Amino acid sequence: MRKALYAAGFAALLFTSTASAQTLNVATAGDQNMVDYIKDYLGPLFEKQHPGVKVVAVGTGPGDGGSQKIYEKLEAQNKAGAPADFDVVVIHQKAAGTMVQENLLKKYRDSLPTGKLVTRDTATNSLGTDVSGYVMPMFHSQTAIAYNPDLIKEVPNSYVELRDWVKKNPKQFGYNGIKGGMSGVAFVTGWVAAFSGDAAKLEKGPYDAAEKAAWDKALADLKEFNKNVVITPGNAGTLDMLNRGEIAMGPVWVDMFYTWKAEGKLPPNMRLKLVSPGMPGQPMYYAVPAKTAQDKLATEFIALATSPEVQADGIVKRFNWYPGIDAKNLEGKLDQAVWNQLFADIPPDALSANGKSFPIGPYFNDILESYEKKVAN
Amino acid sequence: MARPSFFGLLLIAPALAMIGVLFLYPLGFSLASAFTGPDGGASLASFQKAYELYSTDILFTLFIVIVSTLLTALFSIAIAGILTLSETPWLVAVLRSLYRWPLFIPFIVAAQCMRTFLAKNGLMNNSLVALGVIEPIQATSLLDWRGIIITFVWKQVPFVTLMLAGAMASIDRATIEAGRNLGASRLRVLIELVLPQVAQTLLVGLVLSFVTMLSVLSVPMMVAGSQPTMLTVDMAFRINSYGDYATANALGVISYVIAGTVAWIYLRHNVRREAQV
Repeated sequence: MRKALYAAGFAALLFTSTASAQTLNVATAGDQNMVDYIKDYLGPLFEKQHPGVKVVAVGTGPGDGGSQKIYEKLEAQNKAGAPADFDVVVIHQKAAGTMVQENLLKKYRDSLPTGKLVTRDTATNSLGTDVSGYVMPMFHSQTAIAYNPDLIKEVPNSYVELRDWVKKNPKQFGYNGIKGGMSGVAFVTGWVAAFSGDAAKLEKGPYDAAEKAAWDKALADLKEFNKNVVITPGNAGTLDMLNRGEIAMGPVWVDMFYTWKAEGKLPPNMRLKLVSPGMPGQPMYYAVPAKTAQDKLATEFIALATSPEVQADGIVKRFNWYPGIDAKNLEGKLDQAVWNQLFADIPPDALSANGKSFPIGPYFNDILESYEKKVAN
Repeated sequence: MARPSFFGLLLIAPALAMIGVLFLYPLGFSLASAFTGPDGGASLASFQKAYELYSTDILFTLFIVIVSTLLTALFSIAIAGILTLSETPWLVAVLRSLYRWPLFIPFIVAAQCMRTFLAKNGLMNNSLVALGVIEPIQATSLLDWRGIIITFVWKQVPFVTLMLAGAMASIDRATIEAGRNLGASRLRVLIELVLPQVAQTLLVGLVLSFVTMLSVLSVPMMVAGSQPTMLTVDMAFRINSYGDYATANALGVISYVIAGTVAWIYLRHNVRREAQV
């Protein structure tokens, strides 16, 4: 009897101690590096500035699948009229567009102190959907082809050269298809943009359902191309195989590449190449669900995350992303050596020439579905 | 026949309720979702989409599971046969202690082990190179359909062998002795005398293995790449990336049909046997 009383008392104690502290729930899509950023860096920083607040980070998985999970949760809670479980969400562009269209997000950027620090159109346009006021870019990322210069003497400079190289060197190139990570998805959309003729239309619109037919030749070529490549399990899978020497080249996220190199998970001699006519990059967005109890804390969290100091120290220095706010705001907050290292393999002019965004939402979905129908099947 | 007593019905009610709620209701919901079109009426649109996107994967799944089942049967009969008919005591003792270990390892752990074992620079290839059996340049990665089959067979052989060895131990030894006395080789005794007597148990084990392998997600997801892949990975992809429950349920119905066909074959064989007895 007494043991039961002790157990009940202990449980009650546990309950009260968590209930008295305020909890900020942050849900983030993307790879493990996204969760680690909040758990190891941003969370403790915010907790120091706001004593009594606990930041809880939840990862929902890489790729659009992770953002899809956040969308499903917010949609279900919205339909049931319940407040959202998450106070801050970090999502991909496609899901951000869908959530804004369905009124699942709060408009907060206009009153945010750091809201004016970003002028890129990625802050207002997400794959063709107007999201201005609802999102703040967390970072801008870029995909590129990572390669081992010891094994590859003449690096291909364009998709056409890459296709010919892979034909001559089978099973040396690997990517993850469209499942398991966005680096493979980026490669596929870059391929379609390169070989289908009208890359600008894919990026800016307008959407024309008949455009699908023009991709048949490009997709047939991709099917041929796939016969000579290794399909990896995902973003980390491609990097892992590059590390083990099982493939010599593959599309990767620039930030993951540099982070893995810094952690010793990738050999220091590996290099990057941004092939023409371009490979996509994407921002990920900070957003606040429409019906959350902690919206004041949430906006303060995002203000901290998009402040120049945190962007310089956290985004660029620690995690090797390109900043979400405009780069000029980071002047003085970042030492030149760190900045130069980010642009070592891909200089700013190559980035502005070949760094593209993903196709607009409807084209994006069409490309993915056509890939499954015509290339994977 | 006695009238079912009220108390008897009450006793089985919780079990029935659990089956109803946790199996029959989701099954019905899944079937309804698979046969509903985008406009809400009955249609086969989801099946059409599943076929357009995943027809190769359906054939791939059938191929993998059928080959794995046949190989499992082969290895299980071999090991159970050695355990029953061998005249080398130390071999039997060693085999008996070793063959059961994979039983206790979950599929996902087995998949992870195979990832490091079967990779191009994995343990198997490195050992073969160290032994001088192959050159480093010849090392290939087995992390494709072959890896999936190897993992499945490795996991399911102990299960079927366990059932088979038990069945073989319980048949009348006189039949084996008689065969040996008349000069039959042990292989002939195994195939012509022992196997027909334990065929029922073998069939049960193989059907259970077939359905288990059809339902595994972790092994194809971790061991092989994504093209082609098994239906379970496609179902997970459809739900996780698109929230497309209709197509996922259509793929589920296709899995039910495959499993149902195998179950029907087993039941027919069983009924025919019951009728003969």
